[in-house]
Amino acid sequence: MNIENQFTDLYNTYAPKVYKLCLGYASGVDEIAKEWQQETFIKIWKHRNSFKGDASISTWIYRIAINTCLGYLRKSNRKFQPINENILTTPMDSSSETSTDKDIQKMYSCIDQLTKNNKTLILLELEEIPQATIAETTGISHGALRTRLSRIRKALLKCITNGK
Amino acid sequence: MENDKLNQLWKSQKDNSNTNTPENIIKLAQKQRNGQFLSITILSITIVILIAYTIYCSVYEWNNFTIGLLLMITSLTFRIALETLSLYKKEQQIIALNSKAFQNYLGTHFKIRKMINYGVTPMCFIIYTYGFTLLLPYFKQEFSEGFYTYILISGFLSIFIIAIIVAFSIRKENKFYEELKG
Repeated sequence: MNIENQFTDLYNTYAPKVYKLCLGYASGVDEIAKEWQQETFIKIWKHRNSFKGDASISTWIYRIAINTCLGYLRKSNRKFQPINENILTTPMDSSSETSTDKDIQKMYSCIDQLTKNNKTLILLELEEIPQATIAETTGISHGALRTRLSRIRKALLKCITNGK
Repeated sequence: MENDKLNQLWKSQKDNSNTNTPENIIKLAQKQRNGQFLSITILSITIVILIAYTIYCSVYEWNNFTIGLLLMITSLTFRIALETLSLYKKEQQIIALNSKAFQNYLGTHFKIRKMINYGVTPMCFIIYTYGFTLLLPYFKQEFSEGFYTYILISGFLSIFIIAIIVAFSIRKENKFYEELKG
């Protein structure tokens, strides 16, 4: 298999997950998430020879994606919409499609309130990335990760449900 | 159960990720690399020409004109080399570090950037402007009144515009640094 085909396989497997990760950092703004997703895969292609196999390929890709989003936050500050505080005070409702969109927006508002480290952890967890990979990607021990994730989940759920 | 609600909500988002293709990503990466290569080539050629011209002038006479040229070239080369090195190192760290280590690195990186922005850059700017003023008497002597006025106005105007651009990027960078600490 040539290198282009290998990259195509990687892209098809990881692009949706990387996009959603970036979406979390970009407060749900699609345009920015796509820009960062593209930048991540450009870096993956440009630095493909630096992957030595000491970590799994998924760890390597998520690491580049997270670091790209963190490093490029400054370029897109102007494009972010300010968080609508009213959304946080409206109770969660799952009766219609519009309310799902509102809940998603509310979820992003709550994710935005997390610290950068906690944001990284919960975004990877929500993407159902194995905890061992999350630990390796973020540099946090597996034990500490489980405790922190449990706390972040509770805080996030409380924020989405009660707006606090 | 509550945790499931969070996962369900996350999964209920529409997937808009498939707007690009791997072929396009490869093309963009090559374009980016070619652009970087072109910038470095143009810059290197400019510096080589300026150095060659300085050497050529200094052979005949070592005076304020050669000192002025040398000051301008050195300050410009030093600042550009520092910028390139800093960007190259950051790109390498994006690939090499885990997210926790990268955040720590970003903290250090922006402290160094602050030192560059508030110390090195103004110093380079002063040296560059001083070098330019050393050339002016020679320009006045060699060129017509009209052309000298043109050099004088365009020279200081471009220095002023560059100063505004640099100040604007420093402000933007500091804003990001503050945001990163939050």
